[in-house]
Amino acid sequence: MIPVLGLVAGLAVGLFLDPSVPVWLQPYLPIAVIAALDAVFGAIRAILDGIFNDKVFVVSFLSNVVVAAFIVFLGDQLGVGSQLSTGVVVVLGVRIFSNVASIRRHLFKA
Amino acid sequence: MTLLTTMMERPLDAGYQEAADRRAAAGLPRATSTRTVLVVVLMVLAGFLFAVAAQSLRPKPTAAAAVKKELVTRIEALQKHGTEQEAKVASLGKQVREFEALALQQSGGPDLTTTIKDLEVQAGAVPLTGPGLTLTLDDAASTQADGNAGNRPSSGFEEGRVTSGDLQIIVNGLWGAGAEAISINGHRLSSTAAIRFAGQAIIVDFRPLSRPYVITALGDSQGMQQLFEPSFAGLYLSQLTEEYKIRSIMAGSDSLTVPGDSAARLEVAKPVGPPVVSTAPSTSSTPSLQKRTTTPASPSSATPTRQETSS
Repeated sequence: MIPVLGLVAGLAVGLFLDPSVPVWLQPYLPIAVIAALDAVFGAIRAILDGIFNDKVFVVSFLSNVVVAAFIVFLGDQLGVGSQLSTGVVVVLGVRIFSNVASIRRHLFKA
Repeated sequence: MTLLTTMMERPLDAGYQEAADRRAAAGLPRATSTRTVLVVVLMVLAGFLFAVAAQSLRPKPTAAAAVKKELVTRIEALQKHGTEQEAKVASLGKQVREFEALALQQSGGPDLTTTIKDLEVQAGAVPLTGPGLTLTLDDAASTQADGNAGNRPSSGFEEGRVTSGDLQIIVNGLWGAGAEAISINGHRLSSTAAIRFAGQAIIVDFRPLSRPYVITALGDSQGMQQLFEPSFAGLYLSQLTEEYKIRSIMAGSDSLTVPGDSAARLEVAKPVGPPVVSTAPSTSSTPSLQKRTTTPASPSSATPTRQETSS
């Protein structure tokens, strides 16, 4: 429950402060969000599996975000930024879906 | 395919399982608490990231939109101002005519009132009321302008749109059918008024119109309808309706009003000479009538000549 409160607090702070994101950072935001979502859903599934580990969560979260941003950056330098972004979104999207499916099986036994 | 299979079947980071196994081997519970500082801080960070991303990636009203809005309000305000001024011009014109009539009466000269009235009617300077026809034209229902009049397509001609040429042909047909006075959307067509286009907007006498276009034609409504429908313009109109789905409704009425042309102004004035005094009693010379010639603005243009006499 406390982590959820933390998430809500972060959302509130972000919405309230409404910081302006520098332009060079904006292309990485969508990918970073999806990577973060993947890490969060992975963590929820790990909690339900009974194997949650805080260090693994933190490392997977940060590395997901950084790697996703790096892939987009690399793609931009190579001129295939949009294609690589699509690839990252597809992979992370599939992971999110199967994690959510697993969570659903845990919660609803269906 | 291994990649896809592992991704689909075991999307969870292998790190969780390994860490759990290590902890189990060390005799600790497999899972750590979810309430550690690390987790909470990271969740706050994640929430912050989500909120910031959502806010900065949401399409914001751009500066161009603000400018456009500002322009729209200014245009609307100016249009309103223009209409007010037009009404003022109309009322002042009426006053001027009253004074003219009074001056004529007092001058004791020949009675030119009927001549002036007649000429004013012909020149379209005064509002008229009488029986007539209203013809409402509108773009076809399928054209984009229906939904969003602000975004006119920058290029291309849309078939379902009423064009200035259509209006010209129809108005000329109405004149031909015996209309005595015509106005479009409340703008009187004098003999100097032009129906033109600018971009895709139709301009009548330099004032842009917006759809639907309501043409009011005074005259014998029955006779006009009978003359108009088989004429070229009538056939053209029915063709427009059939081929391009341009909507048109024609209705007769017993009492219609067309406004005066507020833009009518004196361009040519001639002293009252023997040829003009045909309607007035041609008695002695009219010393009390001061003969005056105002500056002819464009003498060569085929403008209607309006007599102006003042004492």
